[in-house]
Amino acid sequence: MNVSLKRIQAIIVKDYKEFSRNYAISVMILFPLLFAFMYRSDGAEQATMYAFVINFSLAMLTSFVQACLIAEEKERNTLRSLMMTPASMLDVLIGKSALVFIISAAVLALSTYTFGYDTSNMMVLVAAIGISILLYTAVGTICGLYSKTLIEASLSIFPVLIIFTMGPFALVFEEDYPFVKVLRYLPSSQLSELLNALEIGATTNELIINLVIISMWAIVLTVISFVLYKKRLMDR
Amino acid sequence: MNTISVQNIQKSFAGKPALKDVSFDIPKGEIFGFLGPSGSGKTTLLKILTAQLDPTSGSATVLDKPAKLMQKTDQKRRFGILTDNSGLYERLTIEENLELFRGLYDLPKSSIDKVLNFVNLTADRKKRISVLSKGMRQRVTLACAIIHEPEMLFLDEPTSALDPVNTAHIHKGLRYLNENGTTIFLTTHDMTEAETLCERVAILHKGEIRAIGAPAELKKTHRDGTLTVELTSGQSERLPMNENSATQVANWMSQGQIDRIYTNELSLGDIFIKLTGSELV
Repeated sequence: MNVSLKRIQAIIVKDYKEFSRNYAISVMILFPLLFAFMYRSDGAEQATMYAFVINFSLAMLTSFVQACLIAEEKERNTLRSLMMTPASMLDVLIGKSALVFIISAAVLALSTYTFGYDTSNMMVLVAAIGISILLYTAVGTICGLYSKTLIEASLSIFPVLIIFTMGPFALVFEEDYPFVKVLRYLPSSQLSELLNALEIGATTNELIINLVIISMWAIVLTVISFVLYKKRLMDR
Repeated sequence: MNTISVQNIQKSFAGKPALKDVSFDIPKGEIFGFLGPSGSGKTTLLKILTAQLDPTSGSATVLDKPAKLMQKTDQKRRFGILTDNSGLYERLTIEENLELFRGLYDLPKSSIDKVLNFVNLTADRKKRISVLSKGMRQRVTLACAIIHEPEMLFLDEPTSALDPVNTAHIHKGLRYLNENGTTIFLTTHDMTEAETLCERVAILHKGEIRAIGAPAELKKTHRDGTLTVELTSGQSERLPMNENSATQVANWMSQGQIDRIYTNELSLGDIFIKLTGSELV
């Protein structure tokens, strides 16, 4: 496997400078904090609302920013220039995803603090959110690679936002419409279920199935993003 | 020793041929020009040589390795590429763009100073790409392509839409690189560029090589065998190069009537039109 930390670092530093100077995209870090502040609560619905804030933030921050960073590189032909350097496919994808991962992790940690959510099983919470960030980064990569322009990429996030964020809420109709049960397997529904279970004191073993489903989504979408990257950026 | 060897390359897109049985060699240290109008297959060939595209049939070696291996990290260190759509990061400065490439090639910090000096942009290193002129951007793109001092340089229309001053600047830099051992493969539709820069050129038309050789050789091959004599009276005579003409010229000369005398050679552009029957645009 051809991976170089120096090359990954060079891409992260470059992306950070680009991100910090692109206010249209960097402003997105404020939305999770704003939502966490608006919906903060300590009542019976705390876990449900916290899950909504996290799922919304993952789509609106992680996927959106990643999609825009990838689409902009495509639009300006800089991704092709990167590919002609010794940077391997993994260097580029890891480098480009690392910045979004770090920013998402930091903003979601701050959002969690702002929201006032607390749990005794912090390890499971961190694992679930960490895997979800990977998953939503892959979704952003896929949307970015499918889009020809930055505008197309920003619009492509809306279906993701609607399905993944609203999916868990649609489960209230599952008794009337059995096909809605399929939404239970969405990563956002699994995260929501996990957070609700955490609130009533579920053990780590009881939450393994949720973590496995989220992980499977992350693995499948990451593989798809890698395959798509290779396919989209070569003229074969 | 050849840096590039192309054997019977064919490429079709949806059954439509883009390259037809293209073969040629480029020795180490040569500046080789690929001439042809837009859509003649120049960029397709460049993409095949840099493993961005697979040929339908035929083979090519670049730097002693099959061209399909040019996307391997070790091979990518050995060549540089500048295309008409090579991108730069608009929000970053010239120096920050080069810093990225320095990191990707794992080069010392001094490589940035060296390449900036080479493209004459040292004083502008802190300027953002978004404020640069087209000529300056092209020089930054060239700097990104050569920062690692490649053995082989691929250039796709390097001076298209540049003013004469910037073009001259880039030509000077390319000659310097070539003198220091870099083999250069250049595609262009600019005849002057081909003539002043390239040791050999290939004329490509509708995916086929119609002629290949040094510009002077091509001109010699395609000259029309006439000479023009301009007389002091303002009259101009076009004569075939034979014994009768020699006598006539000698007479004019003895009477001091000759103002100018020259052989009629076709320009590369004329040769292109003669060979392909179409204009080079």
